[in-house]
Amino acid sequence: MSMLFFDHLVVINGLDKKIKKLSSSNDEMQELWKYVEELIHHRVLDCCLDNLPEEHHSEFLDKFHKAPHDIGLLDYLNQKIGKDVEKLIKIEIKKLRKELLLLDSNKM
Amino acid sequence: MNTTAQSNFRDLLKLKSIEARLAFEKKYPKAHQFLLEKGIEIGKLREHSAKLISAGALTGTLLLSPPTGASQLPSPSEISKSIDGIIDRNEKKLPQKDLIDAFNFMLPKEVRPLSRDEEKKLEQVIKDTTDIPAKASLEGEHLNTTYGYIGAEQHLKRYPGDILENHGPYYKEGIAPGLGAWGYFAKSKDKLTLDLVETEKWYAVVQTLYLPDWNSRQPYLHNWYKHRKVMVVNTKNGNAVVAAIADAGPAAFTGKHFGGSPEVMEYLGGSRYKKGAVLLFFVDDPENKIKLGPVKYNDVELPEGSLIQI
Repeated sequence: MSMLFFDHLVVINGLDKKIKKLSSSNDEMQELWKYVEELIHHRVLDCCLDNLPEEHHSEFLDKFHKAPHDIGLLDYLNQKIGKDVEKLIKIEIKKLRKELLLLDSNKM
Repeated sequence: MNTTAQSNFRDLLKLKSIEARLAFEKKYPKAHQFLLEKGIEIGKLREHSAKLISAGALTGTLLLSPPTGASQLPSPSEISKSIDGIIDRNEKKLPQKDLIDAFNFMLPKEVRPLSRDEEKKLEQVIKDTTDIPAKASLEGEHLNTTYGYIGAEQHLKRYPGDILENHGPYYKEGIAPGLGAWGYFAKSKDKLTLDLVETEKWYAVVQTLYLPDWNSRQPYLHNWYKHRKVMVVNTKNGNAVVAAIADAGPAAFTGKHFGGSPEVMEYLGGSRYKKGAVLLFFVDDPENKIKLGPVKYNDVELPEGSLIQI
Protein backbone atom coordinates (compact mmCIF):
# COMPACT_ATOMS: atom_id res chain seq x y z
CA MET A 1 0.00 0.00 0.00
CA SER A 2 1.33 3.42 -0.91
CA MET A 3 -0.47 6.76 -0.93
CA LEU A 4 -1.72 6.10 -4.45
CA PHE A 5 -1.95 2.69 -6.03
CA PHE A 6 0.44 3.65 -8.84
CA ASP A 7 3.06 5.51 -6.74
CA HIS A 8 5.70 2.80 -7.04
CA LEU A 9 5.45 3.01 -10.84
CA VAL A 10 6.01 6.76 -10.95
CA VAL A 11 9.61 7.79 -10.46
CA ILE A 12 10.75 10.60 -12.71
CA ASN A 13 14.52 10.84 -12.34
CA GLY A 14 16.24 14.09 -13.17
CA LEU A 15 13.16 16.31 -13.05
CA ASP A 16 13.50 17.33 -9.41
CA LYS A 17 17.05 18.58 -10.01
CA LYS A 18 15.83 20.61 -12.96
CA ILE A 19 12.95 22.11 -10.96
CA LYS A 20 15.24 23.00 -8.05
CA LYS A 21 17.59 24.73 -10.46
CA LEU A 22 14.79 26.67 -12.12
CA SER A 23 12.91 27.73 -8.97
CA SER A 24 13.62 31.04 -7.34
CA SER A 25 11.79 30.24 -4.11
CA ASN A 26 10.44 27.31 -2.14
CA ASP A 27 6.86 28.36 -2.95
CA GLU A 28 7.64 28.35 -6.65
CA MET A 29 9.25 24.93 -6.41
CA GLN A 30 6.18 23.52 -4.67
CA GLU A 31 3.97 25.12 -7.32
CA LEU A 32 5.95 23.33 -10.05
CA TRP A 33 5.74 20.05 -8.14
CA LYS A 34 1.98 20.53 -8.00
CA TYR A 35 1.76 20.91 -11.78
CA VAL A 36 3.83 17.76 -12.28
CA GLU A 37 1.70 15.89 -9.76
CA GLU A 38 -1.50 16.94 -11.53
CA LEU A 39 -0.05 15.94 -14.89
CA ILE A 40 0.96 12.51 -13.59
CA HIS A 41 -2.47 11.82 -12.10
CA HIS A 42 -4.29 12.82 -15.27
CA ARG A 43 -1.98 10.80 -17.48
CA VAL A 44 -2.15 7.68 -15.29
CA LEU A 45 -5.94 7.79 -14.98
CA ASP A 46 -6.16 8.47 -18.70
CA CYS A 47 -3.95 5.44 -19.36
CA CYS A 48 -6.10 3.23 -17.11
CA LEU A 49 -9.42 4.36 -18.62
CA ASP A 50 -8.05 4.18 -22.18
CA ASN A 51 -7.29 0.52 -21.74
CA LEU A 52 -10.20 -0.46 -19.52
CA PRO A 53 -13.40 -1.48 -21.36
CA GLU A 54 -16.01 1.24 -20.84
CA GLU A 55 -18.47 -1.02 -19.01
CA HIS A 56 -16.00 -1.23 -16.12
CA HIS A 57 -15.27 2.50 -15.83
CA SER A 58 -17.88 3.20 -13.14
CA GLU A 59 -16.84 0.24 -11.03
CA PHE A 60 -13.16 1.19 -11.27
CA LEU A 61 -13.82 4.84 -10.37
CA ASP A 62 -15.94 3.77 -7.43
CA LYS A 63 -13.20 1.49 -6.10
CA PHE A 64 -10.59 4.16 -6.81
CA HIS A 65 -12.36 6.96 -4.95
CA LYS A 66 -12.95 4.71 -1.92
CA ALA A 67 -9.35 3.49 -1.70
CA PRO A 68 -6.93 5.30 -4.02
CA HIS A 69 -4.04 3.73 -2.09
CA ASP A 70 -5.15 0.15 -2.64
CA ILE A 71 -2.57 -1.69 -4.71
CA GLY A 72 -5.28 -4.29 -5.39
CA LEU A 73 -6.60 -1.86 -8.00
CA LEU A 74 -3.72 -2.97 -10.21
CA ASP A 75 -4.94 -6.58 -10.00
CA TYR A 76 -8.45 -5.41 -10.80
CA LEU A 77 -7.21 -3.49 -13.85
CA ASN A 78 -5.00 -6.35 -15.01
CA GLN A 79 -7.93 -8.69 -14.84
CA LYS A 80 -10.40 -6.44 -16.66
CA ILE A 81 -7.94 -5.15 -19.24
CA GLY A 82 -6.22 -8.46 -19.85
CA LYS A 83 -2.85 -6.75 -20.12
CA ASP A 84 -0.07 -5.83 -17.71
CA VAL A 85 -1.30 -2.43 -16.55
CA GLU A 86 1.89 -1.75 -14.59
CA LYS A 87 3.82 -1.99 -17.81
CA LEU A 88 1.35 0.36 -19.54
CA ILE A 89 1.66 2.95 -16.74
CA LYS A 90 5.45 2.70 -16.79
CA ILE A 91 5.47 3.33 -20.54
CA GLU A 92 3.21 6.36 -20.07
CA ILE A 93 5.44 7.77 -17.33
CA LYS A 94 8.57 7.20 -19.41
CA LYS A 95 6.93 9.19 -22.20
CA LEU A 96 5.93 11.93 -19.77
CA ARG A 97 9.44 12.08 -18.31
CA LYS A 98 10.90 12.69 -21.74
CA GLU A 99 8.31 15.39 -22.46
CA LEU A 100 8.99 17.15 -19.17
CA LEU A 101 12.77 17.05 -19.44
CA LEU A 102 12.57 18.49 -22.95
CA LEU A 103 9.77 20.92 -22.13
CA ASP A 104 11.78 24.11 -22.40
CA SER A 105 14.07 22.99 -25.20
CA ASN A 106 13.29 23.38 -28.86
CA LYS A 107 13.37 19.64 -29.43
CA MET A 108 9.69 19.18 -28.64
CA MET B 1 20.00 31.78 -12.53
CA ASN B 2 18.24 32.82 -15.72
CA THR B 3 14.83 34.26 -14.82
CA THR B 4 13.60 33.99 -18.43
CA ALA B 5 14.38 30.27 -18.41
CA GLN B 6 12.60 29.95 -15.06
CA SER B 7 9.45 31.66 -16.18
CA ASN B 8 9.50 29.86 -19.54
CA PHE B 9 9.65 26.44 -17.88
CA ARG B 10 7.02 27.39 -15.30
CA ASP B 11 4.60 28.68 -17.96
CA LEU B 12 5.11 25.66 -20.20
CA LEU B 13 4.60 23.26 -17.29
CA LYS B 14 1.48 25.06 -16.14
CA LEU B 15 0.11 25.03 -19.67
CA LYS B 16 0.88 21.34 -20.07
CA SER B 17 -0.87 20.58 -16.80
CA ILE B 18 -3.96 22.56 -17.80
CA GLU B 19 -4.01 20.86 -21.22
CA ALA B 20 -3.87 17.42 -19.56
CA ARG B 21 -6.80 18.36 -17.30
CA LEU B 22 -8.91 19.72 -20.16
CA ALA B 23 -8.12 16.73 -22.37
CA PHE B 24 -9.16 14.36 -19.57
CA GLU B 25 -12.39 16.25 -18.93
CA LYS B 26 -13.23 16.18 -22.63
CA LYS B 27 -12.34 12.54 -23.15
CA TYR B 28 -13.93 11.22 -19.97
CA PRO B 29 -16.74 13.61 -18.98
CA LYS B 30 -18.51 10.94 -16.88
CA ALA B 31 -15.36 10.11 -14.93
CA HIS B 32 -14.67 13.80 -14.42
CA GLN B 33 -18.25 14.38 -13.22
CA PHE B 34 -18.10 11.37 -10.89
CA LEU B 35 -14.90 12.56 -9.19
CA LEU B 36 -16.27 16.10 -9.01
CA GLU B 37 -19.42 14.88 -7.26
CA LYS B 38 -17.28 12.99 -4.76
CA GLY B 39 -15.35 16.20 -4.10
CA ILE B 40 -12.09 14.82 -5.49
CA GLU B 41 -9.71 17.04 -7.43
CA ILE B 42 -7.31 14.96 -9.49
CA GLY B 43 -4.50 17.36 -8.56
CA LYS B 44 -5.20 16.66 -4.89
CA LEU B 45 -5.52 12.88 -4.99
CA ARG B 46 -2.67 12.46 -2.55
CA GLU B 47 -4.37 14.60 0.09
CA HIS B 48 -7.63 12.69 -0.43
CA SER B 49 -5.80 9.37 -0.03
CA ALA B 50 -3.93 10.59 3.05
CA LYS B 51 -7.23 11.55 4.66
CA LEU B 52 -8.68 8.07 4.01
CA ILE B 53 -5.56 6.25 5.20
CA SER B 54 -5.40 8.36 8.33
CA ALA B 55 -9.05 7.67 9.19
CA GLY B 56 -8.66 3.97 8.35
CA ALA B 57 -5.43 3.59 10.31
CA LEU B 58 -7.05 5.05 13.41
CA THR B 59 -10.05 2.78 13.29
CA GLY B 60 -8.25 -0.24 11.88
CA THR B 61 -10.56 -0.35 8.90
CA LEU B 62 -8.29 0.31 5.94
CA LEU B 63 -10.44 -0.22 2.89
CA LEU B 64 -9.65 -3.26 0.81
CA SER B 65 -6.45 -3.83 2.73
CA PRO B 66 -5.81 -6.71 5.09
CA PRO B 67 -7.33 -5.84 8.47
CA THR B 68 -4.89 -4.79 11.16
CA GLY B 69 -6.94 -6.70 13.68
CA ALA B 70 -7.33 -3.68 15.90
CA SER B 71 -10.40 -1.56 16.21
CA GLN B 72 -8.87 0.10 19.26
CA LEU B 73 -5.26 0.90 20.03
CA PRO B 74 -3.58 -1.65 22.30
CA SER B 75 -2.81 -0.68 25.88
CA PRO B 76 0.85 -0.12 26.90
CA SER B 77 0.91 -3.44 28.77
CA GLU B 78 -0.47 -5.26 25.74
CA ILE B 79 2.23 -3.66 23.58
CA SER B 80 4.93 -4.56 26.06
CA LYS B 81 3.68 -8.14 26.16
CA SER B 82 3.49 -8.42 22.40
CA ILE B 83 7.08 -7.24 21.88
CA ASP B 84 8.47 -9.50 24.59
CA GLY B 85 8.49 -12.28 22.06
CA ILE B 86 10.42 -10.14 19.59
CA ILE B 87 13.09 -8.77 21.89
CA ASP B 88 14.62 -11.26 24.28
CA ARG B 89 15.42 -9.00 27.22
CA ASN B 90 17.49 -11.67 28.95
CA GLU B 91 19.79 -12.43 26.07
CA LYS B 92 22.99 -10.34 25.99
CA LYS B 93 22.98 -8.82 22.58
CA LEU B 94 23.87 -5.40 21.25
CA PRO B 95 20.77 -3.16 21.44
CA GLN B 96 21.30 -2.28 17.77
CA LYS B 97 21.07 -5.96 16.86
CA ASP B 98 17.84 -6.16 18.89
CA LEU B 99 16.42 -3.23 17.00
CA ILE B 100 17.31 -4.65 13.58
CA ASP B 101 15.80 -8.02 14.54
CA ALA B 102 12.63 -6.29 15.74
CA PHE B 103 12.36 -4.33 12.48
CA ASN B 104 12.85 -7.51 10.44
CA PHE B 105 10.04 -9.12 12.37
CA MET B 106 7.63 -6.18 12.60
CA LEU B 107 7.98 -4.18 9.40
CA PRO B 108 6.37 -5.08 6.09
CA LYS B 109 8.70 -5.98 3.22
CA GLU B 110 7.70 -2.93 1.19
CA VAL B 111 7.57 0.58 2.66
CA ARG B 112 4.03 1.79 3.27
CA PRO B 113 2.03 3.86 5.76
CA LEU B 114 1.79 1.83 8.96
CA SER B 115 -1.31 1.23 11.05
CA ARG B 116 -1.47 2.95 14.44
CA ASP B 117 -1.18 -0.48 16.06
CA GLU B 118 2.08 -1.16 14.23
CA GLU B 119 3.36 2.31 15.07
CA LYS B 120 2.58 1.95 18.78
CA LYS B 121 4.58 -1.29 18.96
CA LEU B 122 7.50 0.30 17.12
CA GLU B 123 7.44 3.30 19.47
CA GLN B 124 7.80 0.91 22.38
CA VAL B 125 10.65 -1.03 20.76
CA ILE B 126 12.51 2.20 19.93
CA LYS B 127 12.02 3.55 23.44
CA ASP B 128 13.21 0.26 24.98
CA THR B 129 16.35 0.04 22.86
CA THR B 130 17.40 3.68 22.40
CA ASP B 131 15.65 5.45 25.29
CA ILE B 132 14.34 8.07 22.87
CA PRO B 133 10.61 8.85 23.28
CA ALA B 134 9.74 8.59 19.60
CA LYS B 135 6.09 9.10 18.67
CA ALA B 136 4.30 8.56 15.37
CA SER B 137 1.61 11.00 16.52
CA LEU B 138 2.47 13.97 18.65
CA GLU B 139 0.00 16.56 19.91
CA GLY B 140 -2.49 15.20 17.41
CA GLU B 141 -0.16 15.65 14.42
CA HIS B 142 0.83 12.75 12.20
CA LEU B 143 2.71 12.56 8.93
CA ASN B 144 1.15 10.81 5.94
CA THR B 145 3.66 8.04 6.40
CA THR B 146 6.20 7.14 9.07
CA TYR B 147 7.85 4.35 7.08
CA GLY B 148 9.29 5.37 3.74
CA TYR B 149 12.37 6.09 1.70
CA ILE B 150 14.76 8.87 2.63
CA GLY B 151 16.86 10.62 0.00
CA ALA B 152 19.99 12.75 0.15
CA GLU B 153 19.45 16.50 0.32
CA GLN B 154 21.84 19.40 -0.10
CA HIS B 155 23.00 21.81 2.59
CA LEU B 156 20.66 24.73 3.25
CA LYS B 157 21.66 28.39 3.32
CA ARG B 158 21.54 29.43 6.96
CA TYR B 159 21.77 33.20 6.48
CA PRO B 160 22.02 35.61 3.53
CA GLY B 161 25.40 35.13 1.89
CA ASP B 162 26.01 31.63 3.27
CA ILE B 163 28.13 29.48 0.96
CA LEU B 164 28.99 25.79 0.61
CA GLU B 165 32.53 26.33 1.90
CA ASN B 166 31.05 27.08 5.33
CA HIS B 167 29.47 23.62 5.54
CA GLY B 168 32.52 21.37 5.76
CA PRO B 169 33.48 18.60 5.77
CA TYR B 170 30.57 17.43 3.59
CA TYR B 171 30.81 19.32 0.29
CA LYS B 172 29.79 16.60 -2.16
CA GLU B 173 26.03 17.21 -2.07
CA GLY B 174 26.41 20.95 -2.61
CA ILE B 175 24.15 23.70 -1.30
CA ALA B 176 20.52 24.19 -2.38
CA PRO B 177 20.15 27.17 -4.73
CA GLY B 178 16.91 28.25 -3.04
CA LEU B 179 15.92 28.44 0.61
CA GLY B 180 14.31 25.74 2.72
CA ALA B 181 10.56 25.92 3.32
CA TRP B 182 11.18 27.86 6.55
CA GLY B 183 13.61 30.34 4.98
CA TYR B 184 16.95 31.31 6.46
CA PHE B 185 17.84 29.92 9.88
CA ALA B 186 19.13 33.33 10.98
CA LYS B 187 18.77 36.87 9.64
CA SER B 188 22.54 37.31 9.43
CA LYS B 189 25.79 35.48 10.15
CA ASP B 190 26.05 37.32 13.48
CA LYS B 191 22.67 35.96 14.58
CA LEU B 192 23.56 32.34 13.77
CA THR B 193 23.69 30.53 17.11
CA LEU B 194 25.36 27.19 17.76
CA ASP B 195 21.88 25.65 18.08
CA LEU B 196 20.99 26.85 14.60
CA VAL B 197 24.27 25.52 13.21
CA GLU B 198 23.32 22.12 14.65
CA THR B 199 19.77 22.44 13.28
CA GLU B 200 21.00 22.85 9.70
CA LYS B 201 23.63 20.18 10.16
CA TRP B 202 21.09 17.61 11.35
CA TYR B 203 18.03 18.51 9.34
CA ALA B 204 15.28 16.36 7.88
CA VAL B 205 12.77 16.97 5.12
CA VAL B 206 9.16 15.79 5.38
CA GLN B 207 6.22 16.01 2.99
CA THR B 208 4.18 18.62 4.82
CA LEU B 209 2.91 19.81 1.44
CA TYR B 210 0.83 16.64 1.02
CA LEU B 211 -0.77 16.75 4.47
CA PRO B 212 -4.54 16.83 3.94
CA ASP B 213 -4.99 19.74 6.34
CA TRP B 214 -1.82 21.66 5.53
CA ASN B 215 -3.55 24.57 3.80
CA SER B 216 -6.56 24.78 6.09
CA ARG B 217 -4.57 24.87 9.35
CA GLN B 218 -2.15 27.69 8.70
CA PRO B 219 -0.16 29.26 10.26
CA TYR B 220 -0.45 26.71 13.10
CA LEU B 221 1.02 23.77 11.17
CA HIS B 222 3.81 25.87 9.64
CA ASN B 223 4.94 26.86 13.13
CA TRP B 224 4.36 23.41 14.61
CA TYR B 225 6.58 21.66 12.05
CA LYS B 226 9.34 24.29 12.03
CA HIS B 227 12.49 22.64 13.42
CA ARG B 228 10.34 19.92 15.01
CA LYS B 229 12.58 17.12 16.29
CA VAL B 230 12.24 13.76 14.60
CA MET B 231 14.02 10.48 15.02
CA VAL B 232 15.16 8.86 11.81
CA VAL B 233 16.14 5.19 11.97
CA ASN B 234 17.69 3.24 9.15
CA THR B 235 15.65 0.05 9.30
CA LYS B 236 18.39 -2.04 7.67
CA ASN B 237 21.26 -1.26 10.06
CA GLY B 238 19.59 0.40 13.05
CA ASN B 239 21.61 3.62 12.78
CA ALA B 240 19.55 6.45 14.22
CA VAL B 241 19.67 10.21 14.21
CA VAL B 242 17.65 12.91 15.93
CA ALA B 243 17.07 15.60 13.33
CA ALA B 244 15.11 18.83 12.99
CA ILE B 245 12.58 19.42 10.23
CA ALA B 246 13.86 22.29 8.10
CA ASP B 247 12.41 21.78 4.64
CA ALA B 248 9.32 20.45 2.86
CA GLY B 249 9.54 17.66 0.32
CA PRO B 250 10.63 15.64 -1.49
CA ALA B 251 8.24 15.68 -4.44
CA ALA B 252 6.23 12.47 -4.67
CA PHE B 253 7.51 11.72 -8.19
CA THR B 254 11.04 11.21 -6.83
CA GLY B 255 9.88 7.95 -5.24
CA LYS B 256 11.10 9.20 -1.83
CA HIS B 257 9.15 10.26 1.27
CA PHE B 258 11.75 12.04 3.39
CA GLY B 259 15.03 13.84 2.98
CA GLY B 260 18.16 14.07 5.09
CA SER B 261 21.02 16.57 5.28
CA PRO B 262 24.45 15.33 4.14
CA GLU B 263 25.36 14.74 7.80
CA VAL B 264 22.15 12.80 8.50
CA MET B 265 22.65 10.60 5.44
CA GLU B 266 26.32 9.98 6.22
CA TYR B 267 25.43 8.77 9.72
CA LEU B 268 22.50 6.66 8.60
CA GLY B 269 24.29 4.78 5.88
CA GLY B 270 27.76 6.08 5.05
CA SER B 271 29.14 8.30 2.33
CA ARG B 272 27.53 6.39 -0.54
CA TYR B 273 24.08 6.22 1.02
CA LYS B 274 21.64 8.11 -1.22
CA LYS B 275 18.32 6.39 -0.61
CA GLY B 276 17.02 3.88 1.89
CA ALA B 277 14.10 2.74 4.00
CA VAL B 278 13.71 4.54 7.32
CA LEU B 279 11.26 5.07 10.14
CA LEU B 280 10.64 8.70 10.96
CA PHE B 281 8.88 9.51 14.25
CA PHE B 282 8.49 12.75 16.17
CA VAL B 283 10.57 13.11 19.32
CA ASP B 284 8.52 13.91 22.40
CA ASP B 285 10.90 16.38 24.01
CA PRO B 286 8.91 19.24 25.57
CA GLU B 287 11.85 20.38 27.68
CA ASN B 288 14.28 20.34 24.76
CA LYS B 289 16.70 18.00 26.48
CA ILE B 290 17.45 15.64 23.60
CA LYS B 291 20.32 16.77 21.42
CA LEU B 292 20.28 16.71 17.67
CA GLY B 293 22.66 14.26 16.01
CA PRO B 294 23.53 10.56 16.17
CA VAL B 295 21.73 8.39 18.70
CA LYS B 296 24.35 6.20 20.32
CA TYR B 297 22.64 3.39 22.13
CA ASN B 298 25.14 0.54 22.03
CA ASP B 299 26.85 1.37 25.33
CA VAL B 300 26.46 -1.94 27.07
CA GLU B 301 28.08 -3.09 30.29
CA LEU B 302 30.18 -6.05 29.37
CA PRO B 303 30.92 -8.72 31.99
CA GLU B 304 34.20 -8.30 33.84
CA GLY B 305 37.11 -9.81 31.95
CA SER B 306 35.41 -9.72 28.60
CA LEU B 307 37.79 -7.03 27.39
CA ILE B 308 41.32 -8.26 27.15
CA GLN B 309 44.15 -5.76 26.91
CA ILE B 310 46.50 -6.66 24.08
